[in-house]
Amino acid sequence: MLAAAPLATRAGDEWSGAAVRRFTRRATAARADTSWLTRAGDLLSGLTSAGVAVALCGGTVARLREQIAARPAADSAVLPGSLTAAAVALALAAALVALLARLGPVSATPAAAAWWLSLPAGRRGLLRGELRRVALLAGATAAAVGVPVALTLARTLTGVLVGVGAGALLAVAAVGALVLRQAAGRTRRVPAVAGVVTVAALAGPAAVGCLLAGAGGRLSAGGPGTVPEPVGLVLVGLLAVVAVLGLGLADRRLDRLPAGALRASGETVQYATASVLSLDTRELGRALRTAVRRPRRRRSWGWVHRPWQAVVAGDLAVLGRSPVRWGQLLAGGALPVLAARTEGLAELPALVAVAVVLGWGSAAVALGEPSRRAAAAPAADRSLPMAASEVVRVRVLVPVVVLAVVCGLSALLVGQGTGVPLGWLALGAAAAPAWAGAAVRAGYRPDLDWSGPVLSSPMGAVPVGVSATLVRGPDVGVLGTAPVALALLLGTVPPVLVAVQLGWSVALAAFAVLTAQPPD
Amino acid sequence: MEETELLRATGLEVGYGGEPVCAPVTLTVAAGTAVALVGPNGAGKSTVLQTMVGLLPPLAGSVSFAGRPVDEREAHFRRAVAGVLDDDAFFPSLTGEEHLLLTARGHGVVGAEQVVADQLAAFGLTERAGALPSQLSSGQRRRLALAGVLVRPARLLVLDEPERRLDTAMRRSLADRLAALVDAGVAVLFASHDPAFIGALADRVLVIGDDECPVVAPGDALAALQEG
Repeated sequence: MLAAAPLATRAGDEWSGAAVRRFTRRATAARADTSWLTRAGDLLSGLTSAGVAVALCGGTVARLREQIAARPAADSAVLPGSLTAAAVALALAAALVALLARLGPVSATPAAAAWWLSLPAGRRGLLRGELRRVALLAGATAAAVGVPVALTLARTLTGVLVGVGAGALLAVAAVGALVLRQAAGRTRRVPAVAGVVTVAALAGPAAVGCLLAGAGGRLSAGGPGTVPEPVGLVLVGLLAVVAVLGLGLADRRLDRLPAGALRASGETVQYATASVLSLDTRELGRALRTAVRRPRRRRSWGWVHRPWQAVVAGDLAVLGRSPVRWGQLLAGGALPVLAARTEGLAELPALVAVAVVLGWGSAAVALGEPSRRAAAAPAADRSLPMAASEVVRVRVLVPVVVLAVVCGLSALLVGQGTGVPLGWLALGAAAAPAWAGAAVRAGYRPDLDWSGPVLSSPMGAVPVGVSATLVRGPDVGVLGTAPVALALLLGTVPPVLVAVQLGWSVALAAFAVLTAQPPD
Repeated sequence: MEETELLRATGLEVGYGGEPVCAPVTLTVAAGTAVALVGPNGAGKSTVLQTMVGLLPPLAGSVSFAGRPVDEREAHFRRAVAGVLDDDAFFPSLTGEEHLLLTARGHGVVGAEQVVADQLAAFGLTERAGALPSQLSSGQRRRLALAGVLVRPARLLVLDEPERRLDTAMRRSLADRLAALVDAGVAVLFASHDPAFIGALADRVLVIGDDECPVVAPGDALAALQEG
């Protein structure tokens, strides 16, 4: 005899989305091993950590302000700090928008897509909780990222709170706007546009700064930092209205979100979340990476006659078809220049050196893409008549050449006004092998080792094995930048330093390549 | 019994990133009939099924259900169409029985607990009803997913390789039960690699290919499958 047949079941009252969510939540809670007390403890712990972080950040900014005030102003620092802070805030906001668009922003886990979205219940009720969660998370992230920016721009506690609040509300409004686009199926281009904004926000002011420094001009301080507090409070009020309105409109469009796209986003969210929880930055990059662009024309690779040339051709194809990496190279090269042209930063060589490490490190990450892909899927490399170690050696060629250009030009512009342009150009180019080695070393690093000893620290337990793996790659780059940092400290480039930089950089690159671990 | 057309695809091109994965598909599926999709691995069977139920946008052509363009965002479509297209997605904290209860109650099934109990028994899952998905074997999870489409009312079942990971006896039982549903007026559209399953259930076969996607009689398709 047949068990219940689809047509034989009688229809009664269907569950609403809220009822479906409630059933799932209660069933889950019944098996959860966390009590309300545990959750309250976690919340308290989180708030305490956030408070300590804000206090540390505030203390650092205050100390830097004092140090900067005590130093003579640099002639080449022509951009006000407030402008640079605003540019960095814009870049971070655009990056957050790109991330939200990549993740949906509203998504459904594969389980929710299979078991919830097939129900007749309205998606508005099913996805409302997800919308609230995303908005809350986006607002909290923007507030956290906005703290150092607000501390830089504002002089009073009210000013800092206004800045942080405005950032959080803008993020919530952005979530609302993105959901409206998601419902219309029009988020595909958002990451690309946001990427262009990020690059423009960093490269634009850097270029203006270089032009002004060349012409002997200077921008006067002003702008966001001088917004009166009452105006700021009104602005926050208006942003709150916009955020609530945006979320309200988004809520009404949740019914129009397609299940296929929700599931695809949900898979990305799951992958990215697992990567974050396991502290695996390389996997996080894989989770969030965009697809390589389809080539406009077919390439015949007529110049490829030897196996090593095939590796180079493959690497060039991956990079050539990944526009996001070009933007990353440009932004990475511009960041140190922006720091060197900014009042308050240029006076402290250590801060410029930090910008150099961050910028060139970002460029190296972009150029490590072929290595990361090859480490994850080594089949193509294995098909070549070359030893795995030889493939790794060849894989450093493209990053060396590209980074020689990026780091060379970046250093040339950082050193603008010091009188030795060729010295800075050579110094930057000479640092390229170290960062190229870093790119390959990071791409071919082994999987995270959680079996190692755990070190107790004030911030909690630190798994030593994991930390040691995570720094593989950046360690070589940072060490390789030491001569550049020395030049920043000296304010000039002695010829011997270029030779030292080149020798040191090549030695580090050799070390990086020899210790890279291609998959067995 | 008069055939009522439920699903119609006309010149339907399916694929990803603007690239079609197979030739355009033209097909109608009427109430009380079963249509099988066959083709080698990677031919595009799953992509065709996902496009037909609105999970992927078509590259060209059209697909309609009961005379209206397919839109899985509409509740009436979800009431009428049930599918198992990806069978290994479960809430980690819900038992197998709770998954089925969620589906049955979500669809307003009267006597949901009895319907769920019947399906658990029919799929040999009664003993494992209280197990979490992580505690089930691959085959048990597959059976649970299939049970999910049978605890609720539906006019069209869309199944991607329903025989996958089932033993021979369970395959035969499933084919018989689906055939009984077809006799009761339900339409079934399914992809399969199993000639016996296709032979027991399908009225017609859509052969997915690069150059064309003809609809043929099961006998012709089975002969081709057994040769190839």
